[in-house]
Amino acid sequence: MARLMDVNGLTVRFYTPEGTVYAVNDVTYTLDEGESLAIVGESGSGKSVHALAIMGLIPSPPGKVTDGTVMFDGRDLVQLREDEMRLVRGSEIAMIFQDPMTSLNPVLKISTQLTEAIKLHLGMTEAQARNRAVELLQMVGIPAAADRLDDYPHQFSGGMRQRVMIAMALSCNPRLLIADEPTTALDVTIQAQIVELIKRLRAELGMALIWITHDLGVAAGIADHINVMYAGQIVERGPIMQVFKDPRSAYTLGLLSSLPRLDLKDQRLVQIEGQPPDMRDEPTFDPFAPRNPYVTERCWQEIPPLENVAKGHPEHFARAWYDLPSLRNAQ
Amino acid sequence: MAETMVEEAAPAPERAQENGREVILSVRGLKKHFPIMSGFILQRRVGEVRAVDGLDFDVFKGETLGLVGESGCGKSTTGRTILQLYRPTEGNVVFEGEDLTQIKGERMRAIRRRMQIIFQDPFASLNPRMTVGNIIAEPLRIHNIMSRREQKDYVGDLMEKVGLNPYFVNRYPHEFSGGQRQRIGIARSLALEPSFIVADEPISALDVSIQAQVVNLLEDLQNQLNLTYLFIAHDLSMVRHICDRVAVMYLGKIVELGNTDDVYDNPQHPYTQSLLSAVPVPDPEVELQRQRIILGGDVPNPATPPIGCNFNTRCPVRFGLCHEEPDPILEEIRPGHFVACHRTN
Repeated sequence: MARLMDVNGLTVRFYTPEGTVYAVNDVTYTLDEGESLAIVGESGSGKSVHALAIMGLIPSPPGKVTDGTVMFDGRDLVQLREDEMRLVRGSEIAMIFQDPMTSLNPVLKISTQLTEAIKLHLGMTEAQARNRAVELLQMVGIPAAADRLDDYPHQFSGGMRQRVMIAMALSCNPRLLIADEPTTALDVTIQAQIVELIKRLRAELGMALIWITHDLGVAAGIADHINVMYAGQIVERGPIMQVFKDPRSAYTLGLLSSLPRLDLKDQRLVQIEGQPPDMRDEPTFDPFAPRNPYVTERCWQEIPPLENVAKGHPEHFARAWYDLPSLRNAQ
Repeated sequence: MAETMVEEAAPAPERAQENGREVILSVRGLKKHFPIMSGFILQRRVGEVRAVDGLDFDVFKGETLGLVGESGCGKSTTGRTILQLYRPTEGNVVFEGEDLTQIKGERMRAIRRRMQIIFQDPFASLNPRMTVGNIIAEPLRIHNIMSRREQKDYVGDLMEKVGLNPYFVNRYPHEFSGGQRQRIGIARSLALEPSFIVADEPISALDVSIQAQVVNLLEDLQNQLNLTYLFIAHDLSMVRHICDRVAVMYLGKIVELGNTDDVYDNPQHPYTQSLLSAVPVPDPEVELQRQRIILGGDVPNPATPPIGCNFNTRCPVRFGLCHEEPDPILEEIRPGHFVACHRTN
């Protein structure tokens, strides 16, 4: 598959009165056309901020992309001017957010919000845009779409609002959809609906997908590749099967062992000790070292590079100065 | 810990037994309806939200009963109505032999020592202007137990028990992380040595790597102190891990209740089946092969529940009866396993 996006050394800082926040640190990965990539991490791991950086949506000040490139279709998105970026946003890369209520304008009809981007990016007339909007609402499974077009956001339920957001994101046939925790605010049965919907649409439209989540279960169901983030770094990345079956980062291993499983019998949960790091500390060593049971001397001295894992899949990378016991042997 | 501190709140008359297990809490016909008012000056009642609409269940001493369901199903209202934080519209709540719906005033205050609550949001449930020590000691002051000096030692003990360094006793909540704040909330709930704790989504607001810490702590405390938990949650994987029995709620009613393993391995109600099938499993191989039951639509509005069975608007296996007959009642289909469905009943 052809390369769609190449993120190299992306680094984001926030300069706040309380000090510099090292939000995203040297994030490097590639994304192919049509690929489905999950980005997993806890709050403060930089997963959402890195997506905002790709979209050119980092509020500045206080934020700044201090280093790195995002090559998309031969252009570096980091270097684009705001008016150039505006043509990319929505038409080539679209984004949906966690909370559909705060992402929709409560005083505008759905039709106004949906047709705005269509008219801007695709140059359609009002009537054409409305037809396209009805098509989109049907595509995302909103019943009686033509009748709902002139409703306001509050007249939709949470799951339906997220469908409207998805319709809006897909209105200009983007090549990449970035979904930032789109199901976190939803109930589990509604989450299942949205996950199925996105899977179906991705197959139909052939777009690439970046799905940001803290839920390893959702990631396992939707992605073919995964980036695990901790303290603003990618600590492990690779094909989803390899990362889940043969994790090489102590953080990934810890997360996987700490989760209770619906399909497995009871045992005491293996807990990760300690707390996530303060992002105001400049990273000079492996940020997971204080919580890592496999920590080595070197972890305290320098940041490990994201390297190919030994005797593993060629696309499987991890940041580790240590060797982990195999998860398969442990079970 | 100071054993003399809490005298038995009630010299419990006779305690109910069921299959040889002591029943600590017995809920019968519990309803909580919130009125919907309308009108500017002359307010009148135009309807009601049936948040909790007729619950019958027992909680055994020393167990963890899970209460699961989607948002708006009434699970949190159930917890609060049991503790009499909301007065029920109808029904009885018998706790350690005493009907809480019949008592108030001093008697109620005395009983409140025996039952406590842990809240979901560790940010909103702690007063930002109070030190950790004062937060944990507040229940002691309200109930006028111990001198200040005794309280100080006791709070230190509690902090150690929940895994907080007693050195931080004079710090404020904002100086702690989410997981540590939840530990403060747990210490506060333990201060009066309760026998029963309602844990209302205690880990939902926490990061994944912190959830296991708090769950392990709750389990350890239960073993040490012989606590009984009503564990309200929407994370079904965690409920399977922590709960002995589980009750599944939909639109203010229990649709299935039984031992956790029975309900998870052999769910009988179509809602339980679809709920379990919707839970993602963190294993890509399993996910690849799973057949999901995807429920259509949304949860109906509890102010206007559907005609017939509550679940019939979304049920994948409904038939004629489900629309014609009134909502099915909870029946025991196997010992200890209850289901409310026209198909099984």
